[in-house]
Amino acid sequence: MVTPIFIIATGLGLAFALGFIPKKHINLTGILSFLGLAFMTFISGQWLFSYLGNNELSQFIFTAGARPPFAIALKMGQAEAMITLLINVVGLLSAVFLYDKLKQIGRNAFIIYLVLIMALNVIVMTRDLFNLFVFLEITSIATAGLMLLDSNLKTLSAGFKYLLATSLIAGVFLIGTIFIYSFGGSLFIDDLTAIGMAPLKAVSVAVFLLMISIILELKPFPANGWGLDVYQTANPGISSVISGGTATAMLFALYKIMPLSTMQSYDILIWVGLITFLGSNLMGLKQSDARRLLGYSSIGQIGLMISIIGMKPYIQFDIQIILLAILITHLMAKAGFFWLTGIVGNTDISKWGMIRKHPEMLFLMGTFVFALIGFPPFPSFFGKWQLIMELSSSGHFLWIGLILLGSLIEAVYLFRWLGYAIKKETATQSSIDIRPHKTLPTIIFAVFLYGVGYLASFWFPMGGSINWLPLAFIAILFALDFLPAWIKNIISIAGLSYYAYQIIPEQEGLYLIFAFIFLIGGILTLIPGFTNKGKRIGFYPVAMMMFVGMGMLIEAQSMLEFFFGWELMTAGSYFLIIRGHRSMPHALSYMLFSLGGAYLIFAAFGIAFAGSGNFLMSGLSTMGGLGGIAYTLLAIGFMTKTASLGLHIWLPGAHAEAESDVSPMVSAILLKAGVLGLIITFMAMGGPNNEYTTLPYVLGWLGAITALVGNLAAAFQEDAKRLLAYSSIGQLGYILFALAMMTHLGWLTGIGYSLSHFAYKAILFMGIGAVVLRLKTHNMFEMGGMIKKMPFTFIAVLMGIITLAGIPPLIGFAGKWLFYNAIIEKGWYFQGTIIFFAGIIAFLYCFRILYAVFLGQLKDEHRNVKEAPIWYLIPQYLLLLSIMIFSAKPEWIFQPLGSMLAPIFPQGQLVWNEGGTAFSDIGYWNGSWVMYIIGIMFVMIFAWLFIQNRKPKKVKQFNIVYAGEKPERPETTHMAYNMYSGYNKALGFITANGITTFWNWISEHVTAMGDSLRKIYSGNGQTYVFHIILFVIIVYLFSNGGF
Amino acid sequence: MEIFQLEYITLITGGLLVLTGLWGIISQKNLIRMVIGFSLFDTGLHVIMISIGYIRNGTAPILDKAVDKVNAAGQIVDPLPQALVLTAIVIGLGVTALMLAYVVRLHKEKGSLNITNFKDLKW
Amino acid sequence: MSIIAKLLWVLLGLFIILNWGLLMGALIRKIVARVGKRVGIRWYQPWLSLPMLYSTRSSISHGVMYYLGPVFRLSGGVGIFLFMPLIVGSPYFDNFSFAGDVVVILYFQFFGMLGMALGAGEGGHPYSTIGISRGLAQFTTVEVPLTLAVISLAIQYDTLSIKEIAAAQQGGITNWTLFTNPLATAAALLSMLGIFRHAPFNLVQAPNEIPIGPPTEYHGTYLGVLRTNGAILHVIEAVLFMNLFFGGAGNWIELIIKTFFIYFFTVFIGVVFPRFRIEQSVVWFLKVPLVLGILAILFMAI
Repeated sequence: MVTPIFIIATGLGLAFALGFIPKKHINLTGILSFLGLAFMTFISGQWLFSYLGNNELSQFIFTAGARPPFAIALKMGQAEAMITLLINVVGLLSAVFLYDKLKQIGRNAFIIYLVLIMALNVIVMTRDLFNLFVFLEITSIATAGLMLLDSNLKTLSAGFKYLLATSLIAGVFLIGTIFIYSFGGSLFIDDLTAIGMAPLKAVSVAVFLLMISIILELKPFPANGWGLDVYQTANPGISSVISGGTATAMLFALYKIMPLSTMQSYDILIWVGLITFLGSNLMGLKQSDARRLLGYSSIGQIGLMISIIGMKPYIQFDIQIILLAILITHLMAKAGFFWLTGIVGNTDISKWGMIRKHPEMLFLMGTFVFALIGFPPFPSFFGKWQLIMELSSSGHFLWIGLILLGSLIEAVYLFRWLGYAIKKETATQSSIDIRPHKTLPTIIFAVFLYGVGYLASFWFPMGGSINWLPLAFIAILFALDFLPAWIKNIISIAGLSYYAYQIIPEQEGLYLIFAFIFLIGGILTLIPGFTNKGKRIGFYPVAMMMFVGMGMLIEAQSMLEFFFGWELMTAGSYFLIIRGHRSMPHALSYMLFSLGGAYLIFAAFGIAFAGSGNFLMSGLSTMGGLGGIAYTLLAIGFMTKTASLGLHIWLPGAHAEAESDVSPMVSAILLKAGVLGLIITFMAMGGPNNEYTTLPYVLGWLGAITALVGNLAAAFQEDAKRLLAYSSIGQLGYILFALAMMTHLGWLTGIGYSLSHFAYKAILFMGIGAVVLRLKTHNMFEMGGMIKKMPFTFIAVLMGIITLAGIPPLIGFAGKWLFYNAIIEKGWYFQGTIIFFAGIIAFLYCFRILYAVFLGQLKDEHRNVKEAPIWYLIPQYLLLLSIMIFSAKPEWIFQPLGSMLAPIFPQGQLVWNEGGTAFSDIGYWNGSWVMYIIGIMFVMIFAWLFIQNRKPKKVKQFNIVYAGEKPERPETTHMAYNMYSGYNKALGFITANGITTFWNWISEHVTAMGDSLRKIYSGNGQTYVFHIILFVIIVYLFSNGGF
Repeated sequence: MEIFQLEYITLITGGLLVLTGLWGIISQKNLIRMVIGFSLFDTGLHVIMISIGYIRNGTAPILDKAVDKVNAAGQIVDPLPQALVLTAIVIGLGVTALMLAYVVRLHKEKGSLNITNFKDLKW
Repeated sequence: MSIIAKLLWVLLGLFIILNWGLLMGALIRKIVARVGKRVGIRWYQPWLSLPMLYSTRSSISHGVMYYLGPVFRLSGGVGIFLFMPLIVGSPYFDNFSFAGDVVVILYFQFFGMLGMALGAGEGGHPYSTIGISRGLAQFTTVEVPLTLAVISLAIQYDTLSIKEIAAAQQGGITNWTLFTNPLATAAALLSMLGIFRHAPFNLVQAPNEIPIGPPTEYHGTYLGVLRTNGAILHVIEAVLFMNLFFGGAGNWIELIIKTFFIYFFTVFIGVVFPRFRIEQSVVWFLKVPLVLGILAILFMAI
């Protein structure tokens, strides 16, 4: 074992030695520096390795062979080994990234760099307060020196402010140290802790000064203007060391000195941290400079970690593990992100579109964004999970709320940025700098993030039960992305089929239904992908991510697995949605609503954990006293996915602008994940006779109004896909309403609707998607006459529409019939009437889409349009076949459904007789007979007309009764634009954009708040010093309640 | 009076120096004056450190005839703060030097020594 | 009863309904003409018109959906007939009402409407679409009071079966829904005005402004089919209201008298009142009829 003193020896010794190497041998200097850094990394790695698996005691190293206070003591325990390893890895990789820069400046740059990394190591290892002070100063001197790698006015003024601020902070630390020594007689932290210094006021002030100065080093809001300037102007390689290395070391220093202080100080950390997390992210909202934005994000994340250190007394679980998970993610993702800003070069986030010329760089950026937000499979996901669970079980819901709120705000700007990178048009032609020494460190950290994420799952309870196999499949798909699309399509379908084969046979009851929708639906909607030529970069991995996420929802035994799947699904669907042409803003709002919803679900899971004490899904039914709140949170969370009124504004754009074969995935299938969530919520509430009656009642009304507004808005759309999207909102409103009834018939209706909505919405979106593909427009008034060109698509869409409208004899009618019975049985007459009203309004858009797209006047430019690709027709007709079968034999689906529901809702089941007639308490219906009667009659009448009118003369398009004239252009006679103008005049006010206005209002005001907050960063170094002094005084006053 | 004892005088002087330095950093617009302010602040700290280690009527921390080896701890002034202050002075010097170097470069870039002229970075 | 016998009885019922429908149509036109101080058609005119239309030779087609439009339309009319019990307590004239309750009938109305709309849509004439869009728009709110009334009935009789609702009203005029649930009846009757689409709710067809569109595009045999449907549909819709609100019919005479007056009610209103614009008529059904419907439910539920 190499003693850790060699870390210092290597760093310092090499720094001195390099001075003797002549300037011309700069390569030798560089190589020696790397070797030195590598050796330092090796030492900490070796120590960490020795601690793994065995509970060896931490090693103390007493320099000069004497015990403190006569010498300085270093400590190399498991935590120190881990932290120094992380710092050294960042240091090493950042040096690689900086190589050409360091070389350009010369050997002095290497020297300062080595000293900086060494100093950070010492800050972690030292147990001596004064030594800590010395290396705080060395760190700040070295950093200020390295600022000058890019020497211009901005770095100079930032560096000066930094130097001023950190020296002052170190001074504060020094005062604290001196007084501690004067009262405690030692500088050795462990001795001081052991003494358990008497709670003297003077001592507590001294400890406070120590603590506050380390906090200040961590750049708490608002005393951090100097820090932001450094993040913004330093070379990205240095920023990554500051964010990844320095902040890590300081966090550890804080963790180290906390035992000296009182319990009260922990609360200071919590509040300072949380306010920083929230405030910093809030101010980031309006930031457009990439590096400053990352600075805000860094400061926010570090604030979160400060607060976690402070939460130690309130958390049963090992706080180090939670911290480590979040720290590693932040360190790697933020360092990687800073390097990425160096690779891209342009610091205006709206110009980042240039990155997508290199999909692998875009992939890295996506990785970092998702890691920072805390998505699975990254370590921070698990860390945050455990943190929220623990806070919940100790009842600190306010903190949970603040943490989740801050995360959401951070997601706003990070995802906006990611959206710019993926989609925003940029005028600049400049290319990005992808020399290997710049990309390699970035790639390594991205890979590490995934690897550590896998490892981290085993650090936490229930994490081990996550099924990583499908994720490995996604990783393989990413690796195979260079293959042509059709091969990847086959692989994806095969993979999904295998997954379905694994999962579906094990399911029973309602889970079986949803497993079917998710996975079989996934396979069907992948089939149209065969029409894609080329490679379709990035499509298959993310599509699989979504389907695998949904599979995990089915598989999940624990809440952790469920949430894991939920977030995975959200991530995948985000990438699917943003692929559309004009999808950038819609994907963002989709992501934000989804995340907001996910956090509500998260909080509710926390309450469930607090109530039940375990992580199993069954814990949801033992909520304890907060059940009402938890179920409300869950319901709202899941309703962001089902797009219920108020939470629906993301849906139309997201579904309508998505690619032709993505729309059916996200509409027919993805929405059902929300339905599954609602079902889980309602089941957890305890079936029919539960104590929570208000929530379902409110949701019932909400569902009904959603149905009304969704359907009405659909009728007024000009965009065919938007029409279908609004229709989905309406249909999901039905489902919400039906489930909220909490009766046997209600659930039968709701789940029947889920199935049929899956089938017909997939048909409709595929059919209309194919039309859009062929005509290259979404506007219905630009379509028309497609029945002649795409007859097979028309038939499928017609049948889909008849099912949707609920016209007998197709299966859609079952929903209407069940609704009547369920509503009368439940007594929800008025909500029910709204539902029926909505159902009739559906005819407006049903007719509109059929007429305006397929009937009416064919346009001149569409005379050569071909039928939809066969790959679009196959899944449509498969689904159509199933619709036909179940329409003729509704008992084949509703009877088993009824028996699945019987254990939950034993009352009020349907009775089926031998002939297939369903009897409810009040009504009856025989689907088969209705089908036969209508079918036979239709054929007979057709035959009658055919006999009478055998050979009608086919007339040309314009041969209509038009006052003896012929219409000049098809456009003038295609009555499709603003079709229901009279209706709009009468009832259009219902669809007025009040809700969108509301959300816009919220976002504007939050952004404006952040904008006015950040005005405190005036740019004046003196102001920043003043902030620091004020911060110390104010925090002191708060913590002591006055002087 | 107690307060006029040497250790208190140095302590108070140090404190006043620290405050003066802070005042200088915050109120002076000239960069050089700000650096001087920092220097005062730093010096104040050093004086405080010295005052902490002082033991009244104590002798230098050298083990010779003047000191009884057994009761040494009660007779000599604490050597540690003195050692520390040396280090702190060295570091303070380094920081001051770097600050001044920055000031020179800033002046070269913008031709001004007024801190309010260096507000390119904000928000 | 064997299926063949059943079919024969059904056909007999259809024959009676069709002929009554034709006659009723003629009578109504006669009455309307007399109100307008005109002579009007002869009462047997429809029997002359139908064969004439069916034998018209010149006939064109705009395509498959256009051709199927009238088939859908007539299927819609006949379908409602098939699911409707005609004579209370008679096993011969309850048609195929065992296949579904009133909900089937309410929703099957759309079958013909949608099919016809699509057929006319393929014709490509702009006025067809104008008419259809108005018709659909108006129909959305027309159905609201009717839905409320039906729910009110379902609460009152604890069934959705038309047969049972009609049977429950037997034994004297005071047992009719008209008297036992006057609010629901009122709501339904107002909503019926929209279903039969006489003035003030006839902007849909706008007989004076839009003489072309479907009625002209669909000529000859097609028009014959549509006329046939019109005759059946008018009667059978009236039968629906009769069964639900006016005690059903114990025999054919009763059916004929009741349906005549039910239908005449809408014609009478139509003759007296001027026409609404579409945005007026849409909103009209959400005013008094809606309130009546809500009261009807409150009345029954409490």
